[in-house]
Amino acid sequence: MTINDDSMEICCPPCKAACPILTDAREYIQLIAERKYEEAFVSIRKLNPLPRVCGRICTHPCEAACKRGQVEEPIAIAALKRFASDGPWAGRYKGVLPDKRTGHKVAVVGSGPAGLAAAQDLALLGHDVTIFEALPFLGGMLRVGVPGYRLPKDVLDEEIQAILDLGIEVETGVRIGEETKLANLFEQGYKAIFMGIGAHKDRKLGVPGEDEVEGVVSAVFFLRQVNQGENIEVGNKVAVIGGGNTAVDSARSARRLGAKDVHMIYRRTSEQMPAAKEEVEEASHEGVQISYLTSPVEILGNAGGRVSALKCIKNELGEPDASGRRSPKSVSGSEFTLDVDMVIAAIGQAPDSSLVAEEVGVTEKRKQIIVDGPYTLVTTQPGVFAGGDAVTGPATVVEAISAGKRAAIAMDLYLRGEPLPTTGAPKTHETVILPRPIIDRTQPFARSKKVSIPVNQRLKGFGEVDLVLSEGAATKEALRCLHCYLGAKVDSEKCVSCLTCVRVCPLDIPTTSKMGEITIDPVACQACGVCALECPVRAIDISLACRSDIARDIEDGIHMAQRSGLVIVGFFDLHGNFGSSHVKSLKQDHPNIVPVMVFGLRRVDTSDVLKAFESGADGVFLAACPPDADPFPQEADRVKRRVSHARSLLEALGIDGGRLEIIDMPAEGLLEKQSVAELIQRMGNSGQARSA
Amino acid sequence: MKSGSNLEGILESGQFAVTAEAGPPKGTSPKIIQRKGDLLKLCCDALNVTDNQTAIVRMSSISGCVLLKELGVEPILQMVVRDRNRLALQSDLLGAAALGIRNVLCLSGDHQKFGNHPSAKGVYDIDSIQFIQMVKAMRDEHKFINGEEISGDVPFFIGAAANPFADPFEFRVTRLAKKVNAGADFIQTQGIFDVPKFIEWMKMVRKRGLHEKTHIIAGLIPMKSVGMARYMRNNVPGLSVPKELVDRMADSKDPKEEGVKICIEAIEQLTEVEGVHGVHIMAVAWEDIVPRIVEEAGLMPRPVV
Amino acid sequence: MTKGCGRLLVLGCETCAAMSFAGGQRQVAELASAIRLGRKTSGDEGEVVEDAIARQCEPEFVDLIEDEVSECDAILSLACGAGVQLLAERFPDKVVLPGCNTTFLGVTEALGVWSERCAGCGNCILDKTAGLCPIARCSKQLLNGPCGGSMNGKCEISKDVDCVWQMIIDRLTRLGRLEMLEEIFPVKDWTPAGHGGPRKMIREDLKS
Repeated sequence: MTINDDSMEICCPPCKAACPILTDAREYIQLIAERKYEEAFVSIRKLNPLPRVCGRICTHPCEAACKRGQVEEPIAIAALKRFASDGPWAGRYKGVLPDKRTGHKVAVVGSGPAGLAAAQDLALLGHDVTIFEALPFLGGMLRVGVPGYRLPKDVLDEEIQAILDLGIEVETGVRIGEETKLANLFEQGYKAIFMGIGAHKDRKLGVPGEDEVEGVVSAVFFLRQVNQGENIEVGNKVAVIGGGNTAVDSARSARRLGAKDVHMIYRRTSEQMPAAKEEVEEASHEGVQISYLTSPVEILGNAGGRVSALKCIKNELGEPDASGRRSPKSVSGSEFTLDVDMVIAAIGQAPDSSLVAEEVGVTEKRKQIIVDGPYTLVTTQPGVFAGGDAVTGPATVVEAISAGKRAAIAMDLYLRGEPLPTTGAPKTHETVILPRPIIDRTQPFARSKKVSIPVNQRLKGFGEVDLVLSEGAATKEALRCLHCYLGAKVDSEKCVSCLTCVRVCPLDIPTTSKMGEITIDPVACQACGVCALECPVRAIDISLACRSDIARDIEDGIHMAQRSGLVIVGFFDLHGNFGSSHVKSLKQDHPNIVPVMVFGLRRVDTSDVLKAFESGADGVFLAACPPDADPFPQEADRVKRRVSHARSLLEALGIDGGRLEIIDMPAEGLLEKQSVAELIQRMGNSGQARSA
Repeated sequence: MKSGSNLEGILESGQFAVTAEAGPPKGTSPKIIQRKGDLLKLCCDALNVTDNQTAIVRMSSISGCVLLKELGVEPILQMVVRDRNRLALQSDLLGAAALGIRNVLCLSGDHQKFGNHPSAKGVYDIDSIQFIQMVKAMRDEHKFINGEEISGDVPFFIGAAANPFADPFEFRVTRLAKKVNAGADFIQTQGIFDVPKFIEWMKMVRKRGLHEKTHIIAGLIPMKSVGMARYMRNNVPGLSVPKELVDRMADSKDPKEEGVKICIEAIEQLTEVEGVHGVHIMAVAWEDIVPRIVEEAGLMPRPVV
Repeated sequence: MTKGCGRLLVLGCETCAAMSFAGGQRQVAELASAIRLGRKTSGDEGEVVEDAIARQCEPEFVDLIEDEVSECDAILSLACGAGVQLLAERFPDKVVLPGCNTTFLGVTEALGVWSERCAGCGNCILDKTAGLCPIARCSKQLLNGPCGGSMNGKCEISKDVDCVWQMIIDRLTRLGRLEMLEEIFPVKDWTPAGHGGPRKMIREDLKS
């Protein structure tokens, strides 16, 4: 649960380092690849209280940092999170409350992602939490800002319920600062308060006609109505001013409500647009037009006082402003008029902090709540903490969750009378650059395609547009992961400088000094496991599925295998096209076959084969994945030769070589039904199994 | 009869054999061998022709054997494995058989370090015991060592050397047994000076029944001088010269006579030992003394078979 | 050997040669110094430079000194014969000289004392000879030894050389396995020992 500097490992994978809550994406991706979906979900859920939300709408900074992106495209980390979180196994998860409760009452104001995260973590620390929400329903912007076609309301309900199931109390319809002030909360016995009131107030456009003419609405207001399912009048020609996600949400929602022409007006360029690229793409697919480098000048109304047109001016980029982006400068003489019958203002939100501004300090311009540091999050009022959009201005869901979690730690320390974490800027991590030769030698695999409903079906309503990845697509995607920093490490005490690792690496990564000191670049290494296996002195350790795991899986498997009939150990390449149901039916239909899953047959050593026989197997097979799924196809020949070598050892021991085979996995599944029967028969007919 | 040789005939008929040595010259003159052959013709049943003895290059033993045969003297071809590989050994044996040589003594050979070409490469492709096996297979199965057929007969009476005084003492009999099992028809021992010790060894030999499987011919070296006695006692591995004998040589006024006497005494003792079927007199550079020793030991005339 | 060689690289080898005190960096320093001294007196021209690599028998280590070698005229290699030859293969345009005489495979008896144990005959019989090798340690390589020259446990060639067959008999006796020597050891196939021509070993399962 902790997220502070100390949990940053020396070699933190880029995905984790980029995540505001330090999600170990590397871990859950590996679990998905291993077909261990429930464990993948647990890995996610123990840190993130809203995984189904994030799997859908997170801006995924992890993907921007993902090293795979330097080969072709980053891993679809968010989609994989959704896959692991949407599955039926997710329902089994239960948060574990501590035995001893602290007896402290804590108030959480606001039930958006910041508040929900703070509430969950405080409950898990044993405190009595009550959420105060101004609206009649929980969720904050997740409920009233994000449209259902991105985040279905029932999904949100289930996520929130799982949090509330920890025993969190809720009071809706209470706007703190109105009748109940912060001071009142303290009087009521609350020892600490978290302010996660978000940023729900739209900025005004500041152009003439804005207030005078009817049909000009703020995006927040518009979306709130949409998301509450209220009937709204939407014009035929709608202009949406702004370039953030709120603007895009408004535009796409307007399309669904029947607007024929929806026009986004943004004052800068597409590169500078803050909205998620995917969102902008989908908006375009759905017929939204976007005018870049365009600013509104005046809103014109008709005789009835209703908006009839929007006067705009074109911009060009000038000097950079405070945000570092080049500032737009209007080009004189470039005015033009757009026929519109509705204008939605989505140029940015600010916290609606006026009610609490008496009790906690807020910034002058943007009305954001002031806190003393990112790890303490204490406002000007002792015992009152704040985080999320209310402090930073509009940001992302995961940043809000991060704030809530950090606040929970600080508040817990505060309640226990201990010193708060020292303030300090969070560490930034450098991007890892893959050397060009490594990229060239890496087998490319296309990123999983997003599956969405066809456009013509979408606009009929607010049904979810994107579908969850299929199991096959998810496992394939997860196998593209380069396993950052889980690669080979040489123990220089054991190393004898034989240069084998230098010679066998399919990516040519290990180098030697003149004196035989071996260096394996941890950034380049993709944990294929070949050097760890081939090293004659076992001086190389690999953190992705270490060698002892395979030995243990063989023993455990044989131990549990049914003993009537032949016991056969099968090494299956995880890169095969199979799902957890295939594994289940194999175990059911053939309890005498012991499946051992490996990240490539290149991980199976002669001693593993012999160990299988030693432990009681009557036969062993290695099942190869289809060659086009293999990230290291150049190792296939080596595997064949190693198996020949193993076979000759078996023959020398009087064990028929027919009891060891390499077979191909079918295009789908673990084994073809007919092949299994034939395999068992072949092995049964082979000579002597082992010396009695 | 395995070879039809005179030596075989005498031994197989249960008679006591006498052999001696005719060492070839470090040159090409046939006269040296011929002289020795003439000298020892009547007092010996067969004569060993040495093969680069002590690793000093001399005229080949095959040619020496041929020269003896021309004189009507039966040769014993000594062959060492030090200088020839299995190809050359087999080839020379075929040639020897063709030339009518019927006795062969299979030896390891002294290490080349001792000789006059110490930097030569020693061959030692096979050892002496494997050599004995090889000759036996050539003779009894008509097969080369690689299993191929030999055309014609290879009638050899196969001999080997034994050293009762070399170490390890307990193992010597086992080694003898190995040679006998390999096919040794007769054994010529290293020079015996310590007769009681030899008798002990013979006890062990008889215990294993080896005396019935092979003919043991006891070796003797007549001493010429006390210097020779001392040298052999101190410097020659495999010779056990008791101090009493050295003293006898030292104290004697006529060492040569003493040496002859010692030799004859030994022969007399040895003829009594069960399992000893002959004597082999190695009078190196003193061949002239052999007829007298044989005479005075009462072993003349030599039987004819 | 190094006269008139110009710019000379004295190259050490840090594994076997170093451990035999024949070719490690220490010996390189010694020898290079000696050559420099010699050159002073003889007037022979050319700088003498020093370096060493982990092993001269591995191409990857040899590659790492390519630049250095290109600046030299000759290399005096203190590796074993294998290393010298790999250098010569890799740098065919340079004069490559052997600084060591490679002799045997052996053990360290004590610091500064090594003795031969293995002749690399390719067909190990140590299971039959109580762990003592007659191919490497018998002067006549007898398989059915000892010969008649074994006296007081010493080989006929020298009092300083143990008769390995005596040792074999002693050790087999100690292990209660002396009867193993009753059997006649068959003739040896000398092919794996190198008499079949220069030897090569390929492990198909390891090839990259």
